[in-house]
Amino acid sequence: MRNEQQEIEAYFIPDTIQLTSFTTRELESKQGKLILKYPVLSGEDIQCITETIKANQKNYLDKLQTTEVIDLVDAAVQKWLDPDYHWRQLAETWLPVITGYDAEMIRLELKRFLRTFRKKELLRFLVEEFDDPAVLDDFRPRKKGGLSKAYGPDLILHFFSGNVPGLPVWNLVMGLLVKSGQLGKTSSSEPLLPVLFAKSLEEVDPELAKTLAVLPWKGGEDQLEHPAIQAAEAVVAYGSSESVENIRKGVPAHKRFLSYGHKISFAMVGKEALTLDLCRESVHSLAEDVSVYDQQGCVSPQIIYVEQGGSVSPREFAQLLANEMDHYNRKKPRGPLLESEALAIQSFRSQHEFQIESSVYGHPDDTSWTVVYHPEPDFEPSPLNRTVHVFSCTHLEQVYPKLSSYRQYLQTAGVAVGPDRLFKLSEDLGKAGVSRVCAVGKMAQAPSGWHHDGQFNLLNLIRWTDIETSAEQHAEQYDEDSE
Amino acid sequence: MDLKGKITLVTGASRGIGAEIAKAFGEEGAFVIVNYLQNEAKAATVVDHIENQGGESTAMQADVTDEQSVQDMVAKIVDSFGAIDVIVNNALPSYTFNPKKRKAAWDMKWEDYQKQIEGSIGGAFNVCKAVMPYMKEQNGGRMINLLTNLIDLPLVPYHDYTTAKAGLLGYSRNLAVDLGPFGITVNCVAPGLTYPTDSSLETKEDVREEIARLTPMGKVASPEDITGSVLFFASDWASFITGQCIHVDGGLVMK
Repeated sequence: MRNEQQEIEAYFIPDTIQLTSFTTRELESKQGKLILKYPVLSGEDIQCITETIKANQKNYLDKLQTTEVIDLVDAAVQKWLDPDYHWRQLAETWLPVITGYDAEMIRLELKRFLRTFRKKELLRFLVEEFDDPAVLDDFRPRKKGGLSKAYGPDLILHFFSGNVPGLPVWNLVMGLLVKSGQLGKTSSSEPLLPVLFAKSLEEVDPELAKTLAVLPWKGGEDQLEHPAIQAAEAVVAYGSSESVENIRKGVPAHKRFLSYGHKISFAMVGKEALTLDLCRESVHSLAEDVSVYDQQGCVSPQIIYVEQGGSVSPREFAQLLANEMDHYNRKKPRGPLLESEALAIQSFRSQHEFQIESSVYGHPDDTSWTVVYHPEPDFEPSPLNRTVHVFSCTHLEQVYPKLSSYRQYLQTAGVAVGPDRLFKLSEDLGKAGVSRVCAVGKMAQAPSGWHHDGQFNLLNLIRWTDIETSAEQHAEQYDEDSE
Repeated sequence: MDLKGKITLVTGASRGIGAEIAKAFGEEGAFVIVNYLQNEAKAATVVDHIENQGGESTAMQADVTDEQSVQDMVAKIVDSFGAIDVIVNNALPSYTFNPKKRKAAWDMKWEDYQKQIEGSIGGAFNVCKAVMPYMKEQNGGRMINLLTNLIDLPLVPYHDYTTAKAGLLGYSRNLAVDLGPFGITVNCVAPGLTYPTDSSLETKEDVREEIARLTPMGKVASPEDITGSVLFFASDWASFITGQCIHVDGGLVMK
């Protein structure tokens, strides 16, 4: 692969369809040159693709047992867990160039992420939401009589996120588990990985891959999005609040619409975690949570509340965090920024340097990391790209009133507190709108089967058909052999 | 080596090894605070020397065994110059190194030890303690403590002096553990007999000759010989070194 020119399609469609018009985007790095081939799409193309997918879903995927689907996904994921797998190598080489993220960080995080899609995780994922996952295959008896079956949408239209590489794989896997045909629109910031994963599925089972399409287009192109939405039974949208809202406007009310918009995460460190022997671990973990994928994931904390009264003061915590942020940046440097992003960090720094009560710790030569210490708790999002607030508080409980106006945006709270406080704290965080409480250091690694943004994943996609007891009993009287 | 603009405090810098260290920092472009206890005139000479060489320096009086006086000095440094990057704990309580007149173990009093511990460890403690909040706030700093190779090879057992210096080594290593996460390094330099200095004036020719004979490099140290290792610990070259002790004694102690 080194020092060569390579061309790859930045799209995936059932192999029975031919597209005719293309543009290219060239990427260069010291590994050589990659030419990404983009299709120029029309509304008719979308119509043709969605019809084909739906037919293939009906004729093939719908007839597979869920356990068979799991085995196929597992086989594709197993390929990705081999470091020598050709698509993994391609992804590890070119995703850093496409996204700007540090290569080593991508290598590590991608591997960690894909491990959450092995067979055992997929089985657990299903059980998490279905008492009896066989309802996806057949009518299954209910405890109080009658039978029920769950149907996935015949076609899901995804608007993939581009901030965290790999995330679209999660969407594709969810769709497969409910046996849906899928069309995914990639984000221009990460158009590659979903395509490669589709290719892996094709290697495992060409028929299965014919129920998938991954296509790039510029968000908001009505002539493509309109027919795509028309064809889909469900729409799943990731993106900024604004772009999610725009998509929502185009989706008729009778269609299922799931959205994952802008979220903010934060961490809380209790005084019991601020002992000299334990504190460094929390600091290390949180530096990682803040830095991973340059804080672009909604699970990365933008704010850390640190309680007073431990051996290490909140200010010292901020100072220690600054050093750990620097260490992480040496290992895995932050990606390049747009001028506007760098300016946002610079003005963020100077704004707080002017405030006499706050202290700014930052890389002396550039914007690669920033920690701002505040002596009083508040809630203030950061400009991201490895910038974080540390708020001192007398008690963690002091923080709740500060959260109230951000209720709709709250997502993950990473916590370092003793067992006696965990339940009460989680109860209060839940009331405040937080959907996920996890350990510090694990914020960026949501387990498969989590309630993403506080919702079900598969259950929200499917619809139910019940055979009621009456129908069951009534049918009996028409049994010709009935006595 | 780039020590340009590094705000550096050298304690006990009006004479001897301290003065040489101050001058060496001045030559490397650091801003040197020449701390002294009594000898204002000699401190001024060191400052003049640095300035004549094109460097920047100022003298500040403070008794390192007096906590308040040290805190005031450090606050003044940060107030005036905006930072404190390097401290060199070189000051030591007055002591005469005379092999013939030294006290034997059975003549030692607990007060003798106390005085040295107070001066050596106490003095370094006051300075380190005073600069800690500033260095933490800066996300970094260098602390360098002067010891003696007598800790490892007590050719002449100056009980109180050497015991206190050994304590300072232990103090430094422990400090290195707690301050490392803040980006602050703590290291030590252990010179062998250094001549001429006011302290070593009474170490006569015969002893100096004997030590030189045992030393692989064939001579005792002069004050200028000590400076390189101190500059090294202050430099970027030593950015990942902490809790260490370099012997600067021509190879007399090897470990």
